[in-house]
Amino acid sequence: MDVIVCVKKVPDTAEADVSVGAGGREINKERLTFAINEWDNYAVEEAIRLKEEDEGTVTVVTVGGKDKEDILRRSLAMGADKAIRLDMEDPEDSFVLANVLYTLIKDQKFDLVLFGAQSGDFNSGVTGVMVARMLGISHAAMVNGIEVLDGRTKTSRELEGGLNEIYEIKLPALFTIQTGINEPRYVSISGIRKARKKELKVMTPADVGVTEVKPMLSLEKMYLPPPGKIAEIIGGSPEEAAAKLASLLKEKGAF
Amino acid sequence: MEVEEGNFDEAYDVYACMQCGKCTGSCAVSLRSDLNIRELMRIAILNENGELEKHEEIWDCTSCGICTVRCPRDLKPAEVIVGMRSSLVEGGTIPITVRDALESVGTNNNPWGRPKSKRAEWLEDLDVKVKNISEGEDAEYLLYIGCTASYDPRIQSVSRAAINVLTKLGVDFGILGEEEPCCGSEPRMMGETGLFEMLVEDNLNLFDEFSISKIITLSPHAYNTFVNDYPECAKRLKEDDAEIPDIELEVKHYTQILEELIDDGRLDGEMMNEFSETVIYHDPCYLGKRNNIFEPPRKILNIIPGARCIEFDRREDRSLCCEGGGGRMWAEGTGTGERNSIIRVNDANRDEATVIAVACPFCLSTLEDARATAGYEETMRVMDIFEILDEVLK
Repeated sequence: MDVIVCVKKVPDTAEADVSVGAGGREINKERLTFAINEWDNYAVEEAIRLKEEDEGTVTVVTVGGKDKEDILRRSLAMGADKAIRLDMEDPEDSFVLANVLYTLIKDQKFDLVLFGAQSGDFNSGVTGVMVARMLGISHAAMVNGIEVLDGRTKTSRELEGGLNEIYEIKLPALFTIQTGINEPRYVSISGIRKARKKELKVMTPADVGVTEVKPMLSLEKMYLPPPGKIAEIIGGSPEEAAAKLASLLKEKGAF
Repeated sequence: MEVEEGNFDEAYDVYACMQCGKCTGSCAVSLRSDLNIRELMRIAILNENGELEKHEEIWDCTSCGICTVRCPRDLKPAEVIVGMRSSLVEGGTIPITVRDALESVGTNNNPWGRPKSKRAEWLEDLDVKVKNISEGEDAEYLLYIGCTASYDPRIQSVSRAAINVLTKLGVDFGILGEEEPCCGSEPRMMGETGLFEMLVEDNLNLFDEFSISKIITLSPHAYNTFVNDYPECAKRLKEDDAEIPDIELEVKHYTQILEELIDDGRLDGEMMNEFSETVIYHDPCYLGKRNNIFEPPRKILNIIPGARCIEFDRREDRSLCCEGGGGRMWAEGTGTGERNSIIRVNDANRDEATVIAVACPFCLSTLEDARATAGYEETMRVMDIFEILDEVLK
């Protein structure tokens, strides 16, 4: 099985102080650290597991400048065979990105395309699904289990409320991968060094024949949610605070 | 050292092992875990690398080093475990918590999964002005805080105490603030050789950039790696044409600096208030067993007026490991039964100690947990020596 995995480099914002830049349309990135999108890491691991179970190749793809290559090197060290970086500025929205990826992928040999279910920066969760529609192949989103059958897969999707649904899907297909589908292996630094010998191909939009499309969304303004006015911090000694809290709860009718 | 497939015998000279079992008999965790270093040495002799994944207990080793200290053939069983972990790291199948810690060193320069931009947050409550060497201020010493004392809320108190005490004693020092890197000791012990090499290269260049040659460490683990691992690793990297500056680091654990101040007459009991406590000192493995530094911490505690200093039965090179080293802060281990840290606080309680004095962030962390678990919150404190001094210095 030949698998293509699309990956993206995103900032780690879990605990960092995120602030909006001067233009009001971007976050300040100087003090943030960047790494492979968490969902994409599970997708790469899944592709490599599928290859290890059966034969085939794994190709990882990303769009962006040279600074994005480290996530490709890391994926090669994990076990991918080949990497492609499409050298261009970050696309303006998911639709433009999907169009770029579609143009690149349509000429590659593949049985399966994997995406992370969403990316940790904008969390839109739409790029993979749009690419599937453009390619005209079956797709499933939020996939948390893949079993390969003959020319088909048995694919499990995560639904709300702790439910799963299972489909048999004919290949070629595109799945967007949910975290937890596997446990990604550790990629050592010496592993990354050794993987330098593997092929990392840099292509330009002209090489793959990207046609210009207009973004469907334009970002007007970014801002942090204003602090709410309802919260009240109760100060004083523990005894005073407890008495104040009790009287407040009583007043508001809690008991 | 990176061990190629099937190369344990040569890398660690394990043929000299006569399987006497002194290592297993000495091991601080073998009583409560399947970790059997004699068995692992046998696997190394036979080069059965393929067997390693079955031995989950390889991650139970605290790297206290007692097996190496007591080996009658002068072998390094503790290093064989590092090599075995290295082999597992290369294969990618390691405990998830270890994986996450190592990935965090790669992205955040600390194993705690915390952002680099918050490394200096512990400074916020401090009244004293501290020089920041990374902002161009000159100082005789770099005070290397380390990852745990930078991020762990309980241990941050030691960093603040260190600043207060060293400032009061007139030591000319600065810190690196947010720019301070991981020293690499824990990644190395977790078997991530490549990451350790990368840190050594980056850190030596960083020290060179800021003309740092004298370092005081809070942690014995940082002390040990700077003193014992960096020179050898730098030499190896140079042979591989890495760009390593020619700098000689003079590294001291903070208890050694304080001992010098006592010897120079710059620190004595008259500068302190009474400390009416029964103090028992817990030797950290990386200061004691691994570096034979037993005297300086005791000398400091002994000059504190009012302190009644007592000793554990198991002390100095027989000190019971707290189980905080060797990556164990990120690996729960397979062991069952009573933790060593619980045994330790129970021993201290039996000896009627009111303060357990420590000189290592991992010991502080594990013994603090044990103190609470064992129910000694009202009767006993676990304090770093810097915290004691911060409390008593006038």
